[in-house]
Amino acid sequence: MKKISWQRLAVVAAIVPMLALSACSSSGGRPTDTGGSNGGKVATTPSIKIALITHAAPGDTFWDIVRKGAQEAATKDNVDLLYTSDPDGGRQAQLVQQAIDQKVAGIAVTLAKPDALKAVLKKAEDAGIPVVSLNSGEDVFKSVGAFTHFGSDENVAGAAVGTRLAEEGVTHPLCVIQEQGNVALEARCAGVKTKVPGTEILYVQGTDMTQVASTVTAKLQSTPGADAIIGLGAPFTATIVKAVGALNLAAKVKVASFDLSGELIQSIIDGKVQFTVDQQPWLQGYDSIDALWQYYRGGFMVGGGLPVLTGPAIIDKTNAPAVLKFAKEGIR
Amino acid sequence: MTTLLKPPPALDERVGKRGMVSNLLGRPEIGALVGAIVLFIFFSIVAPVFLQANSFATVLYGSSTIGIMAVGVALLMIGGEFDLSAGVAVISSALTASLFSWYFSVNVWVGVGLALVVSLAIGFVNGWILMKTKLPSFIVTLATFLMLTGLNLALTRLIGGSVATPSIATMDGFASAQAVFANDFTIAGVDLKSPVFIWIILVAITSWLLLRTRVGNWIFAVGGDENAARAVGVPVKWTKIGLFMGVGFCGWVLGMHNLFAFDAVQSGEGIGNEFLYIIAAVIGGCLLTGGYGSAIGGAIGAFIFGMANKGIVYAQWNPDWFKFFLGLMLLLATIVNLIVKRRADSK
Amino acid sequence: MTANDMTSNETAKHAAGPTGTGPTIDQETLLQNETDPLTHTPVHLMELEGVGKHYGNIIALTEVTMAVDMGRVTCVLGDNGAGKSTLIKIIAGLHQHDEGTFKIMGQERKLTSPREALDSGIAAVYQDLAVVGLMPIWRNFFLGSEITTGRGPFRRLDVKAMKEITKNELADMGIDLRDVEQPIGQLSGGERQCVAIARAVHFGAKALILDEPTAALGVKQSGVVLRYILQARDRGLGVIFITHNPHHAFPVGDRFLLLKRGKSIGYYDKKDITLDELTAQMAGGAELAELAHELEALGSHGDLAQELEAEVAETAGQLPH
Repeated sequence: MKKISWQRLAVVAAIVPMLALSACSSSGGRPTDTGGSNGGKVATTPSIKIALITHAAPGDTFWDIVRKGAQEAATKDNVDLLYTSDPDGGRQAQLVQQAIDQKVAGIAVTLAKPDALKAVLKKAEDAGIPVVSLNSGEDVFKSVGAFTHFGSDENVAGAAVGTRLAEEGVTHPLCVIQEQGNVALEARCAGVKTKVPGTEILYVQGTDMTQVASTVTAKLQSTPGADAIIGLGAPFTATIVKAVGALNLAAKVKVASFDLSGELIQSIIDGKVQFTVDQQPWLQGYDSIDALWQYYRGGFMVGGGLPVLTGPAIIDKTNAPAVLKFAKEGIR
Repeated sequence: MTTLLKPPPALDERVGKRGMVSNLLGRPEIGALVGAIVLFIFFSIVAPVFLQANSFATVLYGSSTIGIMAVGVALLMIGGEFDLSAGVAVISSALTASLFSWYFSVNVWVGVGLALVVSLAIGFVNGWILMKTKLPSFIVTLATFLMLTGLNLALTRLIGGSVATPSIATMDGFASAQAVFANDFTIAGVDLKSPVFIWIILVAITSWLLLRTRVGNWIFAVGGDENAARAVGVPVKWTKIGLFMGVGFCGWVLGMHNLFAFDAVQSGEGIGNEFLYIIAAVIGGCLLTGGYGSAIGGAIGAFIFGMANKGIVYAQWNPDWFKFFLGLMLLLATIVNLIVKRRADSK
Repeated sequence: MTANDMTSNETAKHAAGPTGTGPTIDQETLLQNETDPLTHTPVHLMELEGVGKHYGNIIALTEVTMAVDMGRVTCVLGDNGAGKSTLIKIIAGLHQHDEGTFKIMGQERKLTSPREALDSGIAAVYQDLAVVGLMPIWRNFFLGSEITTGRGPFRRLDVKAMKEITKNELADMGIDLRDVEQPIGQLSGGERQCVAIARAVHFGAKALILDEPTAALGVKQSGVVLRYILQARDRGLGVIFITHNPHHAFPVGDRFLLLKRGKSIGYYDKKDITLDELTAQMAGGAELAELAHELEALGSHGDLAQELEAEVAETAGQLPH
């Protein structure tokens, strides 16, 4: 008897969605026009392989943008982009080794854990493969053999946020870190603290948005003196905005952010978020691939031995509308 | 013909009668309840703001998002199995609803319905593979966990173009779905969210199912001694598959809350939560080996986790020590649970 | 049957002498008649003829023939590895036989699941008892056959009725348990056996299979269980009592099937065999003799060897030819 009712349920479950598909949504949904036509010409140099190896954890929106920039440069330069990532230093080193084994024409790598990568990058140097670094490792790129670095110093970015907050009279901001122990995130908050000594750090579980919401709410409830709150990633800032609104603290607690997304820009335009700091990750990806192609093309080494800064760029109400279009495209 | 034998005299006079208090103390959830009360008192003293109604509502919300899953996982543990894919299955459900609705530009409720089918299907697959291969559920669901994690990332990027789903807030049906899954109710000035009510309702229904229906009897039997249950005619295979599908259902409920509360779903989320669900169930008195436990216990376990999690923030303790405090709290709560149980059994 | 009957059988046997000019026991004649001499009914409750089972290339059971009747106890005896478990599993529906016929009330059957066996009136009480230790007694009692009230989604357990029935049924069997809510694991081995037997009796089992119920029990507890077996028999059930202890089997059995390494080495009526003969058949005189010789060769256990030889001689003298 049980089996028959299961079969019936299965049949019903199959038919109903087909009927329901006729219930189309009047707004929202996938845009019908495909953005970005691919009409241009590519470089005339032969196809080469370039490896981009980051310390990204899977599913991070920030690295998505880096990857998009790298991909556009690769397409334009007739480059076959090999993208891999691993937050673990040891495993990231193994990925670099695999790139060397594949005899790539260039390696772009992030140096969040430079000690783990030192040895394998020496091997790359011995194999004659040029190396650039991006995003993390501004102080160490030379010592591991990279000829330049594309990035935005997290401490500098944090300081920029701190300066701006101090200008607006903020004395007790909460800095929300979604991954305890993440060097870049900790550096951002440390940077803020240099300019605003009253900064307090709050750790939340980034893998569970409901816990982020409830922890932020709890902190705001127990810290009546807080006058600002900073999110270190666009999705987390969105959750913070909701929490602040639910507690009716929008007038008292200013919201600031790092990084960008379409929704975040819209929030800035709407006044829910004061400003955000963009390190222009698209540029980091684009420039590192392009630099390696330039080296292949003519032995050029951009940067002059110094790092090439891609930020910080502060986006607030004044320049947000100009950026909105690109944020929706997912490149800012 | 043989004569009817006289029945033998009544058995062992050494087996004394248990008092009502002992019986009460022997229930699986009592240890957890004691632990919860101790923790509540502790945080009330250390952080005065903890006692405020709004703070308590926040604690309840933080508990409910673990609690909804802990209900299903506790039931499964009583049935003798683990589900390590429960954490990511929540996100799979949310992603399915969001991406499907967005890609085909249909009413969001269609996506919600499809997500339910997918969640139940994931549960079915877990249970079916388990019964067919007779591998430990730890292994089977570990494999499913890895596969779902990969699918979450790959399909989101493939369909949506990024690691997070596009916004569906402007689509038809979003408002009504939000009213069901992610509503904020203001009762007597206190802000209570949907998951809290859903959690309480789920616990009530599941407790009734476990203690007052045939299926509940089968669940205890299947977890306590699978072979014995099979020998007396209990449908072991379907009971276990049903339990996995129950976890799938809870995953759908929580996934829908995630989607309609936060709109964009990060495809990398959910990882790590599966252990919290198991911890909540174990704190609540469920035996790791199965056959013993309760749904209310799982709820209390989730509540303990919520109190520890939020209490540390309310108490303004040094955030670097957060994880350490959390682990210590959980260990202490479990030990209290164990002590109470042992004393009850020895009485 | 009283004790006097048993003694007279024994004296009759001794009169035959060791060279075996006395009556031979012909296993064939036991089953030849259509009318069973014990119960005068045309068919047996259960009948196995030439039943065999193999797992891959391992022959677990072969050419087994036995019968079970209502109100009678059939004992299946054999040492470990004799094939007793396989036999029960076939009768209880956990496995299917590969050769021979298995008839229930004259109708040939092949049971495909424990549920089917239960529905046919065959209840098995296993060595590990098929009870769930952590669950209360009343839940175990009604496991798989719970009583419910209400309809549709509100169908719920009738807890009060189940607790009461459990209490009463156990009282009928002679156990007075005030609290049927306690986990069954807290009962002693003998009590658990009793609950399992009472369960089978209550649910209208026509045949009861007991798999080594006294194996793990002390002397007194074993006596209690044997008494319950007779209780069940007296209520009209056909009992299959599986054991490796002939001292337990003989007092309660009406028929005895001896298994060794998957084969039947003897199938006797109670009136045709004595306890000592049964023990001798089971002990295996040949093995004892071999052991005695080995010990003698070692030389260090002279006393023990002599004792064994004496025992061998005694049992050899008892063996039927």
